Amino acid sequence: MYQSIENITFTIAFVFYVASALLFFVHISKLSKRVERVALLTTIGGLVLHTIAMAARTIGAGRLPFSNQYEFALSFAWGIVLSFVVLHALYRYGAIGAFVMPLAILVMGYASMQSKTVRPLMPALQSLWLTFHVSSAILSYGSFALACAISVIYLIDSKRADDHKILAEPEVSDILSYRVVVFGFLMLSVVIISGAIWAQKAWSRYWAWDPKETWSLITWIIYAIYLHLRLRKNWRGKSAAWFAIIGFASVIFTFVGVNILLPSIHSYAT
Amino acid sequence: MKKRITKIIHHIASLRVAIALLLLIAAYIVIGTLLPQHSAHSYYLERYVKTGPLIIALTLDKAYSSPLFIILLVLFSINLTLCTATTLKAQIRQLKGTFFPAVASSEFVVEGVDEEAVRSYSQRMRFNVVERDGEIRAGKMRIGVLGAAITHVGIILLFLGGAIGNMSSSEEMVNLLPGNEHRFEAQGFTLTLDDFHMTFDESGAVKQYISTVTVTDDDGSQRSDRLWVNKPFHYKGLGFYQANYNWASNLRIVERESREVVAEGLMRNGGSYFYQSNHLTVQLYGYYPELGIGHQQQPVKISDREIDPYYAVVLYQFGEAVGSYIVAPNQHIHWEDLEISFTHSVAYTGLLVRKDLSYPIVLASFLIMIAGLFISFYLYPRFLLFKEGKLYTYSRRNGWVFYQSIRSAFTKKE
Ligand code: HEM
Repeated sequence: MYQSIENITFTIAFVFYVASALLFFVHISKLSKRVERVALLTTIGGLVLHTIAMAARTIGAGRLPFSNQYEFALSFAWGIVLSFVVLHALYRYGAIGAFVMPLAILVMGYASMQSKTVRPLMPALQSLWLTFHVSSAILSYGSFALACAISVIYLIDSKRADDHKILAEPEVSDILSYRVVVFGFLMLSVVIISGAIWAQKAWSRYWAWDPKETWSLITWIIYAIYLHLRLRKNWRGKSAAWFAIIGFASVIFTFVGVNILLPSIHSYAT
Repeated sequence: MKKRITKIIHHIASLRVAIALLLLIAAYIVIGTLLPQHSAHSYYLERYVKTGPLIIALTLDKAYSSPLFIILLVLFSINLTLCTATTLKAQIRQLKGTFFPAVASSEFVVEGVDEEAVRSYSQRMRFNVVERDGEIRAGKMRIGVLGAAITHVGIILLFLGGAIGNMSSSEEMVNLLPGNEHRFEAQGFTLTLDDFHMTFDESGAVKQYISTVTVTDDDGSQRSDRLWVNKPFHYKGLGFYQANYNWASNLRIVERESREVVAEGLMRNGGSYFYQSNHLTVQLYGYYPELGIGHQQQPVKISDREIDPYYAVVLYQFGEAVGSYIVAPNQHIHWEDLEISFTHSVAYTGLLVRKDLSYPIVLASFLIMIAGLFISFYLYPRFLLFKEGKLYTYSRRNGWVFYQSIRSAFTKKE
């Protein structure tokens, strides 16, 4: 029964997200407040259904949905939408939805292509550290997706005349993207460190240069360079925006590319 | 002369050098994930005709332990240490209450603010307030200026821990059957495996591998504990990790006429026994606790539950395979004058025994790093200056956000 609840809510949430992305696009081309409101409500509706889908899976499997590629994509998409909704609650920049929602849709689409069977947790995964590791990853990846979306807006706006800008104040999108990256970076550090502590317990080695580990370190280095350039060399605006986009590309590669292209002990997450 | 040295140090400690090194390190480790590691040199020369020699020259075939990579890491640590050390003095100065930045040049100004409101707000929000010449100077979270240095110290410590670990750690695999002992001479104790078993879920997949061990110290004291994947056991600086398992089965060869047992002993999967008199080699191809039959009619293991156990056995004589059998426990294979059978399979555990005294350092470095990041990102210093009816807000890390919070605090009140 939980499986069918999950399937139904997953599908409807997906439809809601597609609708909300379309509505946000209408909003940024027409700049209509009413459309924005509807788009936002659709997003929240989708998020609620998405949460139900995750809850159903959690109950059905008897554990958090954190352990294979489908479950992690489901959670990752959830993190993206959640971070957008939280950012909106704080700063009221709905237009970002037009760029965040397509990312969430892509990740949901990727999830729908993965096997949904509930499989038992292999011994190495039975750890409290898994929960830390994956929850921080959801927050981190969600933030980086959001920063990427804001940066895309920044780049588009930088080419537009003042009265056609998606977000009225480009400086603000620049700063928001930075603050979101900062949070994502802190969370990514938690991801890497919790993973290391866990590996020490399970395999006796906190670091083994496994491709997934290595790529998360590369992502971490990219954002570390970004933070330093920003603080010390005053890199803002376009170059900072490109950095946030490249950083997110590295996140996506770590998440999808490594599984497909490189052999890894994390490959049980298929 | 001193000036020259300072200049050189500042050059080495510069952010430009740091970023160049980070990019090199990143490039190096990317290549490490793309190139197969630890293969034979001939593999690289054949597979990568043009770049093969370069790969070998740069030891990219062992990227993460190559001297070049280690040099990069050492240079990076030096750069980071110098950089942290050279900026530390200025940062410590900024911790003092007497320090106040050039707030009046800040672009973030709230106008039309009441002096009394500034005073009470500063007090309520725990700012450190100094009033002088009709100005109100308020600052808080000065500690935040140390966030970056704390993070850097964490990273330096991590490198140190990693280096110590690499140089001093050692590990060995110990396979034990229940009842077996292993002596650790250097540490002065003996480890006994009391029990090893697996637990299963409904589908037959292994849920957990559990070893029960007892250590007997040379001073006579004993301690027992259970360990499984994710729950190692530690004793006298050694960590015991559940790493492996397999089956051992009892081989028994009996001479048919005399009923004499001519050979008996435990054999692992894949192992073989040579019986001289008949020039016969008995190979235990595998033990199948729950036997299934694969696509090509080969035996396959469905699970490790001992539901329907069978042995696959191959016999060789003078180097030729002369027979292959699937037999149940106690079922005999008759060969010439012999009866060959397998019984009493037991699972044995493979424990990885690792000595790594650097892990506490690494763990400490993790905590320091996370604390440093949190301090620099969220406890950054904030300053307010009230002068001639204007409230100047300043925060180097996060000026705009701080300004917004102050502005909304003061406009809400009105
Ligand atoms: C990958 C390794 C590194 C990490 C994770 C790291 C981390 C940090 C963090 C979190 C900050 C505070 C940034 C902010 O508040 O926005 C910072 C600041 C800084 N870092 Fe690093 N750092 C690293 C390597 C380096 C290196 C090698 C140098 C040497 C040149 C360096 C120089 C600095 C400087 C000068 C600051 C600014 C301090 C200030 O102005 O308050 N960092 N670092």
